[in-house]
Amino acid sequence: MDANKSEVLQGTLDLMILKTLHGLGPLHGFGIARRIEQISRDVLQLNEGTVYTSLLRLRHQKWITAEWGVSENNRKAKFYSITKRGLKQLELEAKNWARISDVIGRVLQLEPEGKS
Amino acid sequence: MSLPKQSTLRVFAAKLRGFFGVQRHDEFDDEMQEHLRLLTERFESRSMSKKEAAAAARRQFGNLTLLQEDRRGLQTFLSVEALWHDLRYSLRTLRKSRGFAAVSILTLGLGIGAATAIFSVIENVLLEPFPYKGAERMVFPRLHNAQETEEGGRQGYTPNEVLEFTETNNVFDGITAAAEDLVLYKHGEGTDQLYGAHVTPGTFEFFGMPVLHGRVLQRGDYEPGAPPVFVMRYKTWRERFSGDLSILNTTLDLNGIPRTLVGIMPPRFGWYEADILIPEKLRREAKGSFADSPEIWFMLGRLKPGVSRQQAEADLSVIANRLAKIYPQDYPARFTVQVRKLGDAVIGRFESTLYTVLAAVGLLLLIACSNVANLMLARATTREKELVLRAALGAGRARLVRLLMVESLVLAIAGAMLGIFIAWGGLKALVAVMPQNLIPTESVIELNAPVLAFALAIAVLTPLLFGLAPALQSSRRDTSKGIGGGFRGGWLRDAVVVTEVALSLTLLVGAGLLMRSFVALREVPLGLRADHVFQAVLPLPPDRYKTPEQATAFFRPLLARLKTLPGVVDAAASSAFPPYGGEPSKLQVAGKAHGEDWQAMLQQASQEYFHVLRIEFKEGRGFSEAEVNDARRVAVVNATFARKYLPNENPIGQRVRLASLDTLAGQARAPWFEIVGVVADVTNNGLQSPIEPEVWLPYSIPGSRAQVILVRTSQDPATMLNTVRQAVWATDSGVAVAYPGTLVDRIGERLYAGPRFGFVLMTIFGSIGLILVTVGLYSVLAYSTSQKAHEIGIRMALGAERTDVLGMVIRSGLRFVLAGLAIGIVVSLLLGRLVSAQLVGVTAYDPATLAVMTLLLTLTAAIACWIPARRAARVDPAIALRYE
Repeated sequence: MDANKSEVLQGTLDLMILKTLHGLGPLHGFGIARRIEQISRDVLQLNEGTVYTSLLRLRHQKWITAEWGVSENNRKAKFYSITKRGLKQLELEAKNWARISDVIGRVLQLEPEGKS
Repeated sequence: MSLPKQSTLRVFAAKLRGFFGVQRHDEFDDEMQEHLRLLTERFESRSMSKKEAAAAARRQFGNLTLLQEDRRGLQTFLSVEALWHDLRYSLRTLRKSRGFAAVSILTLGLGIGAATAIFSVIENVLLEPFPYKGAERMVFPRLHNAQETEEGGRQGYTPNEVLEFTETNNVFDGITAAAEDLVLYKHGEGTDQLYGAHVTPGTFEFFGMPVLHGRVLQRGDYEPGAPPVFVMRYKTWRERFSGDLSILNTTLDLNGIPRTLVGIMPPRFGWYEADILIPEKLRREAKGSFADSPEIWFMLGRLKPGVSRQQAEADLSVIANRLAKIYPQDYPARFTVQVRKLGDAVIGRFESTLYTVLAAVGLLLLIACSNVANLMLARATTREKELVLRAALGAGRARLVRLLMVESLVLAIAGAMLGIFIAWGGLKALVAVMPQNLIPTESVIELNAPVLAFALAIAVLTPLLFGLAPALQSSRRDTSKGIGGGFRGGWLRDAVVVTEVALSLTLLVGAGLLMRSFVALREVPLGLRADHVFQAVLPLPPDRYKTPEQATAFFRPLLARLKTLPGVVDAAASSAFPPYGGEPSKLQVAGKAHGEDWQAMLQQASQEYFHVLRIEFKEGRGFSEAEVNDARRVAVVNATFARKYLPNENPIGQRVRLASLDTLAGQARAPWFEIVGVVADVTNNGLQSPIEPEVWLPYSIPGSRAQVILVRTSQDPATMLNTVRQAVWATDSGVAVAYPGTLVDRIGERLYAGPRFGFVLMTIFGSIGLILVTVGLYSVLAYSTSQKAHEIGIRMALGAERTDVLGMVIRSGLRFVLAGLAIGIVVSLLLGRLVSAQLVGVTAYDPATLAVMTLLLTLTAAIACWIPARRAARVDPAIALRYE
């Protein structure tokens, strides 16, 4: 496996999908995978199939809804879009994420005490 | 980004599936396959070979099978699909343990069936008896004499009063009034009587029930000079006119007036119990007093929404007090206006009985549930391996609980279906024995939508009662512990069984007492022979029959004609039917002074009366034909009369004077009647009350109101109606034969229907209780013996005989039975006080009943214990020991 690629952290995929749907509007699964790939600039190692289980989970939570539509190349595809509840959840998770990454960032910046 | 166009239908279907949480497998798989294909295309466009591209795509997509597993895990959490799976699984396992399923379903079916049946009686009789608009706000006022301690009061009003109440009240949004009219309907063959009601304008708007055929009465029908019309009730149309629609819009001769039938009401319309409804507009009378009023009206008002009965009583009191000043003779010195709900008069006495019965049935249902809970626990032990295996394979606790609950639900729904079937049959039986005078005619006792909803609600709720505890219990088992760890609520289970035995004994004792009482009631001598007697009322048209001479001129030839008919033995005329006496009257006996009022029931009869009814003479004789023909002043009294008013004297030759005859105009001439005979007591005041003094006078005397005929027959009296009717019409074609029937039926309806109902109901509940106790004991013992299989094995290995094991198990079962019996006997004795009022000829502490029922219960319990005991005794020690 490519050493420069990281595994997607547990639970962050949901957040990424929510944010993607929030930013781009209704998308099908393939589109979501492409978008994440594009944004992560190939840093993240994404098993694209897990997008679908994540989508299922999000639908169970009623954070997204799905509707049948026709894709750009004229094929039947399911389009997912974020719901009001999903928006709230996104806001909440985004804040959480910011807080955690902030904390982790600070933890990582700590210099060993004896050295200073 | 704009969404491409979609097929609306497909979107709808998808939304529908989404709503039910269903996602078809292939949809999800399609979506992923499509994704894979797109990825492959992408890699191909980067100049990979087809094979390489496909492999790269699979790599990037991840493990497809694993993902599908994930999806299933996610979806089975709440999806209908998984429930369906559980359901099929439950059906399969229940099919495998048929005995358990059958016993559980039967138990639940009995419990749910009994509860549903009683609920539907309550729903149809108490909750929704009347199909009218705003029926729950319909009330009628009555004037209660404040000096009377007893319930009741005047409910009939003069037209002036009705108009005053209608026009000046502030509490009703509608008032209707009805007055009785006995209508003689003359047709080609003769005359029939219809019970008619005059109704005021707006009556049909008030009730708000649409007509079945034709039209209801309209404003114009009430105006003077309008063509006379009427509306008929459904029952009358079906029974008297065989449901023939061609009579609609034909003209019938009613009380000499040709009236056109314009409408037939639907089956549940039963206002005033009237066969026909005739329009009449109220007019103020010049005199307006009660005595001068040509008709007396019953008033029914519908309270405005939000108006309480107290408010209505206050408002109507103001009006009544104003009327009392105008018509002081019609109002007691001190009175209150009571506002009663429609149906109170009919339902009142029945209400508490029904709710008591519902409580008893609720207990039965609880017992049924605990029985099934016990059965499930017992079964859980045998299923333990399966459950442990499932848990070990990764089934979560919630998942196991759900599986077990689905099983419970399947049982409950099957039980409810059986219960509805039982209720359906039970209701038919119940309605057949239910005293008809206790339920309003409008109410139809049936399994309607609310009742079915009730049964369904029970079916959904009962699994929580009987399924949840065992499910939690069995799923709690630690996978590592395997077999072991008993049911912690053991005492609760034992308590349930003891309660069952106690309750069942109480019900059985109650049933036994009521049965004995009923038998005793049937054996109370009536003082007459009721078999082979046909009876009917002949309402003589008042315009042609004013004097007693005119009445005897009709009855004498009629009785003579009847006696010549084949199948007729004898016939008599009278003013009243058995089993009740005539009208009460105050009296005097010549030469006797007395402080308190002397009173007797007064009846007029023809000379054949005593012979037709086979009433025995103690002293003296009956009326002679000449005495009756000449309307001589002679009297026959009953034994109670002689004992009470003429003790230690020869009653023959004494003279009595009856106050109710004195008030009639022109009676002062010869008010004294000479006693010529004393007859044995005949039941005249119901079976539980003492017999009242009674006096019979010739039916030919002035003031007589003879209108009943009693015909003794040699064949089945039920077949006599046509013969009698032809004879009556041959005598006077203008006389109707009303309320025909047999004396046996009439007495049965009046005297035995109520007690029979109580006894049948208690017997049914007692039997259900007995069945439940059997199941309960069986399930508990089956459970505990299966728990003890190991112990039994050791005992047998150590040399215990099979009979020892048998005895041990039976003893452990009988422990519950004895405790339950002890409690049951105490409860029965305590409750005895409550039923003693309904008992005749047997005390509430009847030792024979207690002994028989205790024995019955013990025997049944012994059988219930014996089955698991025998199974335990058959245990092969080698196998039992190998278990651990």
